[in-house]
Amino acid sequence: MNPPDGSDIVIRLDGLSHWFGTNRVLHNLNLSIERGQMVAVVGPSGCGKSTLLRAILGTHPPKAGSVLMDGKVVTSPGFDRGIVYQRYSLYEFMTARENVAFGLMLRHTTIPFRVFKWGTWRMMKKDHIRQAEELLVKVGLGNAMDKYPAEMSGGMCQRVAIAQALVMRPKLLLLDEPFGALDEATREDLQRMVLTLYQENTRAKIEGKPPPHTILLVTHELNEALYICDRVLGLSQYWNYQGAGHDSCPGATIVYDRAAPTFEPNTPREFEQFVAQRDEIRNIVFEPENPPDPETHRDFWTRRQTAGSVNV
Amino acid sequence: MIRRPIKPGTRITLAIVSVLVLCGIYTLLSVRQHHKNPNDTTIPTWSQIGEGIKKSVTPQPGSGEIILWEDGVATYVRLFEGLFIAVGAALVFGIAMGCYAPVEAVLQTPLSIAAKIPPTAMLAVFFVLVGINQGFFIAMIVFGVTPTLAQAIYQSAKKDVPEELLNKAATLGASQGEQIWNVVFKQVLPRLIESVRLQIGPAMVFLIAAEYVVADVGFGYRLRLEGRKVNFNIVYFYLGLLGASGFLIDYALLTARRKLCPWFGR
Repeated sequence: MNPPDGSDIVIRLDGLSHWFGTNRVLHNLNLSIERGQMVAVVGPSGCGKSTLLRAILGTHPPKAGSVLMDGKVVTSPGFDRGIVYQRYSLYEFMTARENVAFGLMLRHTTIPFRVFKWGTWRMMKKDHIRQAEELLVKVGLGNAMDKYPAEMSGGMCQRVAIAQALVMRPKLLLLDEPFGALDEATREDLQRMVLTLYQENTRAKIEGKPPPHTILLVTHELNEALYICDRVLGLSQYWNYQGAGHDSCPGATIVYDRAAPTFEPNTPREFEQFVAQRDEIRNIVFEPENPPDPETHRDFWTRRQTAGSVNV
Repeated sequence: MIRRPIKPGTRITLAIVSVLVLCGIYTLLSVRQHHKNPNDTTIPTWSQIGEGIKKSVTPQPGSGEIILWEDGVATYVRLFEGLFIAVGAALVFGIAMGCYAPVEAVLQTPLSIAAKIPPTAMLAVFFVLVGINQGFFIAMIVFGVTPTLAQAIYQSAKKDVPEELLNKAATLGASQGEQIWNVVFKQVLPRLIESVRLQIGPAMVFLIAAEYVVADVGFGYRLRLEGRKVNFNIVYFYLGLLGASGFLIDYALLTARRKLCPWFGR
């Protein structure tokens, strides 16, 4: 089912398919993400999660179908979409402060401007640095502003990377397994940090403002997906294509799309709350034995309408 | 123990000792040679070298020229002009090849071939194409250094700048020019400086060889002239100056790299 009329849709995929030569990766993906949603994409290895992310980012536009950001077709990367990668997340020749201020410089000035209007540029730079410092304090790195990436831990680097993306106020923030290489304690810290963004969304909705953060998180961690996101998508190459099982599937598609429980950043993580849903996702998305019909578990919008209330 | 660090004081002491040992060995050889032949000038004594230095820095009777100054200016102007052009060209070629596949396809093979031809083997070609003037010496350095340097920068631009960083810059609003200047160039800068450090030696070789053959002023010319006259007290002085100036240029580049790229090697 499509989102109800009047939904504030940030990004829409229309029949998105992608392939590399004869290797068909994604097949007919249809998806709408509403402003303020935090959506996790989970799926087995090789199902095309990263390909989907690249299509949305604009570096690898789809071979068929389209990606629409606020109604406009995506053909290349742009500052309406921020990205945080697992690796190469920062520019190693810049300090934390400079990394965060970098995007502001790029967005508000050009090379000729910085050369020929040097005085004005210096004034602007001070403001960019101030904004970067505020954001670094917000992500808990007030005492590491002058550190280079090589001098910071993996967790600190990812915090800077998130600040670097957030400072641009992107319409959609793409997180490509951002916590995958971190130890458990650091990962939990950063997950809580993302939950504070969710809290900001909630606060904005209560105040009648548009929620500031829309996130698409690609992860292979089911617990993480259910803990920090309010909607989970299962992308899988194991689905029942024309009643012939998954062997003849023309690529992975979305086989699961349902709401996830929401948490407060300061409450302890209780995995028991989502054990049932985790098992459900594992069976539907990751098991090649019983390939599902792709429509059966893709009922996020239907369930939400049935519930009759907006999932806040 | 492999790679066990030593104290900075120990490092400096060992460096001084190594130079003193070299001087000691030279003194022994010189004394031995002069014991055999008191008029020898091939391994001059320290006092003979002192006389050579004095001769090099004293104004010549008649012309009033100080030969060390004349030679030094000629050689180092040629060296720095050649290096400046070579580094500029290598930077443009290397970054363009690392960023754009068509440029890479066009330039990769010619540069690989050019890098394998010793510029000294091209002397005759440069005689004809450039003539015997300042351009001849600069061409020797540019032809000798640019291909290797461009290949090093190209490799760095391709390998040290992952696609993710460029994609991220695009999401931050960077134009192609900004991606090249603010990301690729900044990332390859320390490698560029390191590569230039490595190319100082070859550049000196090409220049001195060219001066040796055709110049009428410069370090190469003086080495040839004084070598023929068996004035090795001047030859050794000039060789020492070449080594010392190379060391200073290398140190200056290292300092520049540390100042400009404090993040590199931390």
